[in-house]
Amino acid sequence: MVRGTFWRSLGAAAVIAVVGLPIVFLIAGSLRQPGLPPPVTPELIPDPVVFGNYERAADLVGLGRAALNSFIVAALAAPLSVLVASWAGFALVLIRARARTAILAASLLALMIPLTALLVPRFALYRSLGLVNTFVPLVAPALVATSPIYVLVFYVAFRRLPPELYDACRLEAASPFQIWRRVAMPLVRPVAVAIGLLAFVLSWGNFLDPLVYLHDRDLFTLPLALRSLAQLDPTNYPLLLAGAVIATAPIVAVFLVAQRYFLHEHRGAGWLGR
Amino acid sequence: MSAVRLAGVSKDFDGVPAVRELDLDVADGELLVVLGPSGCGKSTVLRLMAGLEEATAGRILIGDRDVTKLSPGRRNVSMVFQSYALFPHLTAAENIGFGLVVREVRRAEVRERVAQAATVAGCAHLLERRPAQLSGGERQRIALARALVREPDVFLLDEPLSNLDAELRAQTRAELKLLHARVGATMLYVTHDQIEALTLGQRIAVLRDGELQQLGTPEQIWREPANRFVARFVGSPAMNLLASGAAVGLEAPAGAEVGIRSEHLALGEEGVEATVTLVEPIGSEALVHLRAAGTELVARVPAEAGHGVGDTVRLSSSREHAHLFDGETGERLPWT
Repeated sequence: MVRGTFWRSLGAAAVIAVVGLPIVFLIAGSLRQPGLPPPVTPELIPDPVVFGNYERAADLVGLGRAALNSFIVAALAAPLSVLVASWAGFALVLIRARARTAILAASLLALMIPLTALLVPRFALYRSLGLVNTFVPLVAPALVATSPIYVLVFYVAFRRLPPELYDACRLEAASPFQIWRRVAMPLVRPVAVAIGLLAFVLSWGNFLDPLVYLHDRDLFTLPLALRSLAQLDPTNYPLLLAGAVIATAPIVAVFLVAQRYFLHEHRGAGWLGR
Repeated sequence: MSAVRLAGVSKDFDGVPAVRELDLDVADGELLVVLGPSGCGKSTVLRLMAGLEEATAGRILIGDRDVTKLSPGRRNVSMVFQSYALFPHLTAAENIGFGLVVREVRRAEVRERVAQAATVAGCAHLLERRPAQLSGGERQRIALARALVREPDVFLLDEPLSNLDAELRAQTRAELKLLHARVGATMLYVTHDQIEALTLGQRIAVLRDGELQQLGTPEQIWREPANRFVARFVGSPAMNLLASGAAVGLEAPAGAEVGIRSEHLALGEEGVEATVTLVEPIGSEALVHLRAAGTELVARVPAEAGHGVGDTVRLSSSREHAHLFDGETGERLPWT
């Protein structure tokens, strides 16, 4: 028992070191006096501690506006991804086996295609529709669930539910939509929250798509604003790191709110009628 | 309430037949038990009636409606599943009322009918709990109430007692019988347990490999099994089947097998000599395993007879208790 606890603590410490240390240096670096070169040795608490970098970074490139833009895009894309991916995953459970195999194979194939390969055709498509320099190209992928992997994850989650639950629904004349809404979705809530969170983080951190589709400074999302910051003052690390903290903090907050839904079993959902 | 008729119903799974040309009539208000070993297609029969499986051939009628092509929700049948299939995230009341809610019945009416069904099924005190907070027997009652609440034409019960412990099973079995008497609904009850079949069923349909072996009252199934399979499957211990009557002192026609239930073997002063090979006491009675004329038999005798392994006894039976089966086809033969 004691041995197990020791190794587990050691493992946790290793994970914290790998994930946590960069965050510590990120925050510490953002509090250094602007204009100074990076410290030669790691520095936990800078001397003097300066908070002004945050204000300057925010003013210089309009981080507040950019954060709002990022939030609008992610807040539209993430729920939409969950909705569409869960519908598609649920449909895969309901359809006949042969069609399902074909669609699953096609989904896996779609996963193999690098997104960058589609960048130019997609740009051409959105330009011909007159949608470049709007948020539409950033949100539109959510209309096809953003990624086949989300659909597959939902499919597996729905399939793990006991088939009698679906049978019971069908006997009660519940429509596929009613089954999805009243039975299937509530029982895979941790999966839905996790996928929503993933989609949110992905959208929040997306650099390439905004770079390609957005020209107007007012429409810039956080990653673009951070790049502007780096271009304006490429050697001013404290300023850059302060911008990075501003960009990271909301996502950590979202995770902290959401984690209780998927780290803890919810309302006896772990018990599946068996 | 409605009668149910299956006419020439067959079901294949990828070419493997699960049900073969089944003809079955269930009378209005009857409790018919479908009995058979696992894998005999009995659950498939139920799922075909429910519409959860599509028949490969044949027709299914409920009352005078042909429901063969109807979706499950439009057949007006309800089903109690072996695993109960309760929705774990809903309370007992929400589980029971589920079918009414998706049919958009008014909320006040749902509440009223849920309370009624729960009272009939004996679970009115459990309505606020979730399935995880209920025992097996309580879940079973919720599942029953969910089946009752819609007042369907037909109730389908798929081994509803198999997840309960022995005592609770006996108690629930009796309650089910009372419930059927009270509700008077047409019920189809699937089980592999012959005691359940004999105690509950008004009639029993015995199924083997998807084929109907015999349809009759429990009395008929017990007294006049239609073939060797029914004779062996119904009754515990299984009926003794002998290649000839020699071991019990009966003269059977050539080519016929003789079947005698364990309780119809008499151990006494007269008859064929037999050796006791094993004694299994079961309370007031004992199962005595014997070897007579090269054949193994089991007799059920009062425990106080006090037979021991290695004892020599004399074994006899009478013609009225002996069944005759064709040695090749296994079909029942009359004594001549």
